[in-house]
Amino acid sequence: MELSESVQKGFQMLADPGSFDSNAFTLLLRAAFQSLLDAQADEAVLDHPDLKHIDPVVLKHCHAAAATYILEAGKHRADKSTLSTYLEDCKFDRERIEQFCTEYQNNKNSLETLLGSIGRSLPHITDVSWRLEYQIKTNQLHKMYRPAYLVTLNVQNTDSQSYPEISFSCSMEQLQDLVGKLKDASKSLERATQL
Amino acid sequence: MLLELSEEHKEHLAFLPQVDSAGQGARGRCSVGWGGGPKAAPGTQEPLTFIAVVAEFGRIAVEFLRRGANPKIYEGAARKLNVSSDTVQHGVEGLTYLLTESSKLMISELDFQDSVFVLGFSEELNKLLLQLYLDNRKEIRTILSELAPSLPSYHNLEWRLDVQLASRSLRQQIKPAVTIKLHLSQNGDHNTKVLQTDPATLLHLVQQLEQALEEMKTNHCRRVVRNIK
Repeated sequence: MELSESVQKGFQMLADPGSFDSNAFTLLLRAAFQSLLDAQADEAVLDHPDLKHIDPVVLKHCHAAAATYILEAGKHRADKSTLSTYLEDCKFDRERIEQFCTEYQNNKNSLETLLGSIGRSLPHITDVSWRLEYQIKTNQLHKMYRPAYLVTLNVQNTDSQSYPEISFSCSMEQLQDLVGKLKDASKSLERATQL
Repeated sequence: MLLELSEEHKEHLAFLPQVDSAGQGARGRCSVGWGGGPKAAPGTQEPLTFIAVVAEFGRIAVEFLRRGANPKIYEGAARKLNVSSDTVQHGVEGLTYLLTESSKLMISELDFQDSVFVLGFSEELNKLLLQLYLDNRKEIRTILSELAPSLPSYHNLEWRLDVQLASRSLRQQIKPAVTIKLHLSQNGDHNTKVLQTDPATLLHLVQQLEQALEEMKTNHCRRVVRNIK
């Protein structure tokens, strides 16, 4: 885990009981996690009355350092000993290290879910709907009498947040072919989970 | 159900019986077959029978349906039969229309014979036309079915099992996914779509589509298929 000097300086300031008393430390820690994980996080998360006495520049610097560190730790799936080592290097006392690790542990799952959801992927199928029809005639051809299916796949694009649909028609044989192939895929998925 | 033949149509088709007399005149002068076919060896003098000529027209008509008009064939035929190229074209188009309308409506043999009877052709010509209709009906219906408005239709599906191990934003993941390549075709062009889904959705898709297939076997659908014919 490579962290910049700015992050280290921020943490060193955070470690100092003179700049951040224990109440302020708790508040800042909570604010850092909240602004990352809470979707409705208020922009004024640092506007707490108990943080007013601290220089806003220092406050912002430490908040940014904490947030950066939390993301890096989450990305690399850091364990408690990695966290402790780094925080010790930044001159954190035992109590503050414990506090940080507990807070991190409580939010670990949400953090990893959030990080896992970032990224590009292929359009994702979310649902399928189908329609069975019986074709009787067209203006070009009378007396058709044949069943047909219309299948629509609901698809979600991760980056554009659009929801295009893919529709296609197929005969009964073609649908059987399609279902057969999807069943093969799911069987091989089952087998892979048993390895 | 009888076919309705317009006056213009009857005129065009009236050319066919005349082929008989024209054919007689052409005896001994031409090689078998015309149009784009290979020339027979020199010295062959097969007489152009009436049946052969009408059959040939039938063949041209079906080719016209498959591939569109070929003016060269009309010219060749017109020369050999001593008639204008327009007459040949109208004759072919008349025959084509007769065949497509009959195939579209899927009329029975009896109805076809009754419809053609109105034209006042000879017994032999009527039989020939009926045979032409029956022989080509299935193919013509296939061609006509391609004219219907259509959505992209399913062609093939390829799948692949993937497991995402890491990404730029998160290391050490195990995220299974199924990548699917769906081949669709519309009006002759093929296109493919590459999609992805997770295992839970895959099972859901299989379950839903199996239900769709089961529907065809229910009493309701069976009754509809049985009774609407």
